[in-house]
Amino acid sequence: MSGFFGPLESDGRVPRPQQTRVAAFLISAHGALARQFAFTLPARFDAAWQTELNAQFYRESEIVSLLMRATSWVPDIALGYMTAAWETAWLPAPIEGIADRSLAQAVHLATLAHAVHASIRPAALLPVEANGQDPFVVALRRIEFESGRLLQAQILYLKGPDLVPHRDAVSAALEKRHASVRKLWRETLESIGIDASRSE
Amino acid sequence: MPFLSHGSYRIRYELDGPAGAPAYVLVNGLTQYSELWAAYREALLGRGFRVATFDLLGQGASDKPTLFINQDDQVAALHLLVIELGDGPIFLSGISFGGLIALRYAIEHGERIVGLVPMSCFAELSPQLLLIGNALRTGLILGGTGYLQDLLLPMNLSDQWLKPLLDKLDSVKRQGWLVNDVYALQNLMESFLDFQPLTPRLSSITVPTMILNGEFDFLTPRPLHETLRVKIPNSSLVIIPRAYHAFTLEKSALTADLLARFADDVLAGRWQGNQAVWIAPDEPGGELTPFPAEYDHLRAIPVKRTPS
Repeated sequence: MSGFFGPLESDGRVPRPQQTRVAAFLISAHGALARQFAFTLPARFDAAWQTELNAQFYRESEIVSLLMRATSWVPDIALGYMTAAWETAWLPAPIEGIADRSLAQAVHLATLAHAVHASIRPAALLPVEANGQDPFVVALRRIEFESGRLLQAQILYLKGPDLVPHRDAVSAALEKRHASVRKLWRETLESIGIDASRSE
Repeated sequence: MPFLSHGSYRIRYELDGPAGAPAYVLVNGLTQYSELWAAYREALLGRGFRVATFDLLGQGASDKPTLFINQDDQVAALHLLVIELGDGPIFLSGISFGGLIALRYAIEHGERIVGLVPMSCFAELSPQLLLIGNALRTGLILGGTGYLQDLLLPMNLSDQWLKPLLDKLDSVKRQGWLVNDVYALQNLMESFLDFQPLTPRLSSITVPTMILNGEFDFLTPRPLHETLRVKIPNSSLVIIPRAYHAFTLEKSALTADLLARFADDVLAGRWQGNQAVWIAPDEPGGELTPFPAEYDHLRAIPVKRTPS
């Protein structure tokens, strides 16, 4: 089993079943982030950092919109139960060691976004010979690049002064979230014949 | 692929060569990965050494801590590998960030090694290095791993190396881009945020030490190596002609030869550091030349040394 998409179609495009399942996973993850950022967005900002929430919400929505249009979809009956499993995984989980509910919610969202932006690298699945003019290929490269930038907000928050008293709890929650996201991503890739052990 | 365990983290390593033979442990630079030492593995195995390489925490196939990477943990991971090697004589070498980790190891566990080779290295962040490091970190944040590689390649390698590769740089960069993640590289860079200079502790390094510095190293220029030469008692500085920061990639045959000869000299009791300054040969096997005593080796033009 290769660590990349393929075998590619004759014109260098990613096989449509692989496009479908990877796009569905990414839409689920980034869509969940878009929804959760939307719920945290106040109607009117009273703090500078809230402008970043606005940016995160629109970038996540853009990723979902991009994948909806750039993917060559095929019917995939397994997506029903897979999507249910993914959506369950994005739900808030208690953060051990942080009793304050609003702080725990913020840490949950930041750790989930960090895990999705940092550990999911869809462009790294593209073999050298992938067609650079294919919209799905371009979309994956754009998502990975954009994720690296979005990630900076999570890094700043999670490493920032507000969470210094909770550093161990935050680090533990983040490691746990990374592990669970990587597991789902690995299982998704293995279901379409891609060896993702490198991402473990 | 074997792994060592450090707490909850796994450190991937490779070890080849006969047990009991003198060993070289090679420590990666910040954006590197273990496979980049392949030429050294082959050359040093052929000279009778064991060779151990590994991915630092945050690199390649080793675990990548999500939020913080402490340089103490890198030293601890290296120590695990040294323990894995057993009681035979061990030489330790590292390039750039890896050289810094090797220096720290020599300070904290000097009794476990018989020789040290810091390459393109530094013990403190000069204003230039601090600001370049900050700019490289910003480049990584804004442009990703690929942009960081774009900055480092022309800074650290010669025209002669780059010219034939100009139309295939993407393939040169690809493996490093694949195995290294933005957040992990950023964590490695940010491990310098609380960095304390090693300079006051360098004098505690008592093992024979050969400091290698490229003639044209822009990232870590001669004065940073001079600090090592002056502070480490049994050291000498060897300048690699026409070499840049990443001479371990560009001049692997020459560098591997220098490593092997240094180890042979130490094991035979011939090594004398004397804090001397040497010029390496252009090719493997050539003679090292003493830097002309009357000239200042810190200058790029022939300026006579000021009597001290």
